[in-house]
Amino acid sequence: MPALTPDAELTALLDRVALRDQTALRLLYDRVGGKLLGLALRVVRQREWAEDVVQEAFLTIWRVAPDYRATLSPPMAWMGLIVRSRALDLLRRQRADRAQLTQEFDEVMAETMESDAANPMDTADASEQAWALHQCLAQLENKQREVLSLAYLRDLSHGELAAQLKLPLGTVKTWIRRGLDKLRLCMARFA
Amino acid sequence: MNFAANAPLLELLAASHALGTLRGGARRRFEAVARDNATVRAAALVWQSRLASMAELQQPVAPDPAVWTRIRNLIDAEQQAIALQHQRNAPAPTAAPATSGWLRSLSLWRGAAAAGALATVLAVVVGANLREQLRSAPAVQYVAVLANDQSAPAMLVTFDPKNRQLTLQRVGGYQEASDKSLQLWALPPGGAPRSLGVIGRDAAMRMPASEADVRAVPALAISLEPQGGVPSERGPTGPVLFHGALIEKTL
Repeated sequence: MPALTPDAELTALLDRVALRDQTALRLLYDRVGGKLLGLALRVVRQREWAEDVVQEAFLTIWRVAPDYRATLSPPMAWMGLIVRSRALDLLRRQRADRAQLTQEFDEVMAETMESDAANPMDTADASEQAWALHQCLAQLENKQREVLSLAYLRDLSHGELAAQLKLPLGTVKTWIRRGLDKLRLCMARFA
Repeated sequence: MNFAANAPLLELLAASHALGTLRGGARRRFEAVARDNATVRAAALVWQSRLASMAELQQPVAPDPAVWTRIRNLIDAEQQAIALQHQRNAPAPTAAPATSGWLRSLSLWRGAAAAGALATVLAVVVGANLREQLRSAPAVQYVAVLANDQSAPAMLVTFDPKNRQLTLQRVGGYQEASDKSLQLWALPPGGAPRSLGVIGRDAAMRMPASEADVRAVPALAISLEPQGGVPSERGPTGPVLFHGALIEKTL
């Protein structure tokens, strides 16, 4: 019997979760909980917040699993979107709570770009589609890849990226522009 | 700017849109064109799905075991609430509709004899209802009133051995914050507190429990925990808000 692809295996688990199978939810959590926590941590930066995000995301997955099939998304991408949107919700709440303490919030989120330190990508359980993106991102310079990832994962504007990364605005714009251009040419080969 | 006919520019705009860095007026213009033009819309959707995979490429980090416990507790509480809702919405299994049918036809009758007959019929129906209610009534065997430090009662807890469940009813005005949960603990003599479950936000709820959970337990307590509660073996991590003696009813 051919081994199931990760996509097929995770889709089958989501189908069972849709039927209110709590064991399947546990299996799904064991398979992707760590992956999703890594993603949440990348967005919100703090362990405690990230675990809250994963908790909320799994409750969402439990509730909306019956809708998964209709989205036509690869399973990891779908769950990743749920985690990202919960994480962004949490950041918005935190930002609102600390409106008078913006300085402190920026400090929490601040991150210095170490242009040589590659932020390693992980393709375990990644969908076919993620493989293509992985191949293309791997061709970018580390700093280009890093600003693209942070822009997307944290939903940041050029200005916010410049502030969080402590880089000049022009530099951020150039890196993004060049990064997207290379990505465009590379992804066209996988279309 | 006719980007719809300029493939590289269209791709770049669609990618910036999906990335989130296309903002303000430029973003609104792009979205307006995408609504009208299927080619532009398709490019936008393709890039959205391509970049969504960014979320799949992050390094995994092992979660603390408490995270799963909280998820399971919240789902258990949600399932309980749904079951309770179904119970409430189920039609009463008694002769109530028949009674009103009788009433309607009987109301045409005149005379004392007819009224007497009606009284007899109602008495029989009511008697049957009462017996039914008594049979399905919970047999309360343990009771606790949990109160705060000022002895103001906050939660009434009863244990029904027949249905093997604890019934909790909020009696004070206390409401935990949305990111917190109340958790119920048994305090066995000389032992560590044992979690009986996480308390939902409803005014009343039931949680499954066996008699072994409450037998020979002199007291119960409620602590304030992170949303979803904490694993039993860890014991309460937040402040104990309410506590009280658990009393076995002998009658």
